[in-house]
Amino acid sequence: MTDLKIAGSTSTPTIQCTAQPSRVHMKGDSYPENAFDLFQPVLQWMEAQLASADTLTMDLELVYLNTSSVRIMMDLFDTLEEAHKDGRKVIVNWYYDARNERVAELAEEFKEDLTLPFHILPQG
Amino acid sequence: MNAASDSEARIEALLADPAYADHPLREPLAQLYRQFQEQIRHLDRITRISDRYQNAAQREASSLTERLNKHLKQVEKIARISDRYQSMLQDLNKRLEHESTHDTLTGLPNRRLGLSRLSALIAADQPLSIALVDVDHFKRVNDAFGHEAGDQALTAVARALRDPLGGTEMVARWGGEEFLLIWPQTDLASAIEHAQALRSAVPAQMPSIDGRILRTTVSFGLAQRRDGESVNQLLRRADAALYAAKDAGRDRVMVAK
Repeated sequence: MTDLKIAGSTSTPTIQCTAQPSRVHMKGDSYPENAFDLFQPVLQWMEAQLASADTLTMDLELVYLNTSSVRIMMDLFDTLEEAHKDGRKVIVNWYYDARNERVAELAEEFKEDLTLPFHILPQG
Repeated sequence: MNAASDSEARIEALLADPAYADHPLREPLAQLYRQFQEQIRHLDRITRISDRYQNAAQREASSLTERLNKHLKQVEKIARISDRYQSMLQDLNKRLEHESTHDTLTGLPNRRLGLSRLSALIAADQPLSIALVDVDHFKRVNDAFGHEAGDQALTAVARALRDPLGGTEMVARWGGEEFLLIWPQTDLASAIEHAQALRSAVPAQMPSIDGRILRTTVSFGLAQRRDGESVNQLLRRADAALYAAKDAGRDRVMVAK
């Protein structure tokens, strides 16, 4: 598996997908014009990685998401959820600034309906 | 046993009876009976096939409903989360707006908001009076008690100036230890009265630092807007009156010429 790195901007998060360790890291705001174009490579990378790896950790430091980014995130979580039900060791860690409790509430909304380990962790 | 199978049993018995073996009706009856039985089998088969089609259609419909419901649930979730993100942004905007128009230390409107309110009232040609207020010997408070005490003194003055104000009146933090008071629809005589009341209330509001009460007073430079007067002209006259109040010994209200 080759690593996938997407540089961030004011409207898009920095994305890093590494095979060793098996990890997806996303940090920043996400309100791109076309969230599908941005996240499709990430979804494909995750599916390919999960085809060979037994573990995958997703570390998120996302603050603002627009509607299409919300939709894509749900797809990413569904992919992880399937892997989890398939017996793979997948974990989501969603980090948030302790001064902005609302991001934690939103992470809770995403977590709802999922059974995989999903940690919402304050920072700072 | 029903009538149909009664008659079937009777016909089968008659056809099997050797007594009628040579009866001319026997052969046509046997043929008719075989055809009848064939028809019954057809009917059964058609019914079975039709039932299976119906079941399959029903299963498909319920799986469609299930998928539709799942999608609806997903769309609702996306909308709910998205709405919350939007309201988070709106609150952030409100906070930024408030922060950009208010003074962090005292919580009062800042110079920008004070000036914009004053400009709006003057643009609408409203009669009004203003005062520039300065804390007397503020540097001495800072020097003697430290900057933290200075901040406490400013906060106390801000409270003393703000708390008695009515709905349309405003006090803004104009600069370091300077404040701008705006009284819309207020003539000079009433403004003087208000200013004197505020000035005399300030010392009682001052905090004590290390057991020593800050003996802080304030000076007022008061001006009523003249017909056609610009924001800057009005502020200059109030400022000149404030200087005059300082020159005359502080802790007083002076009216602009």
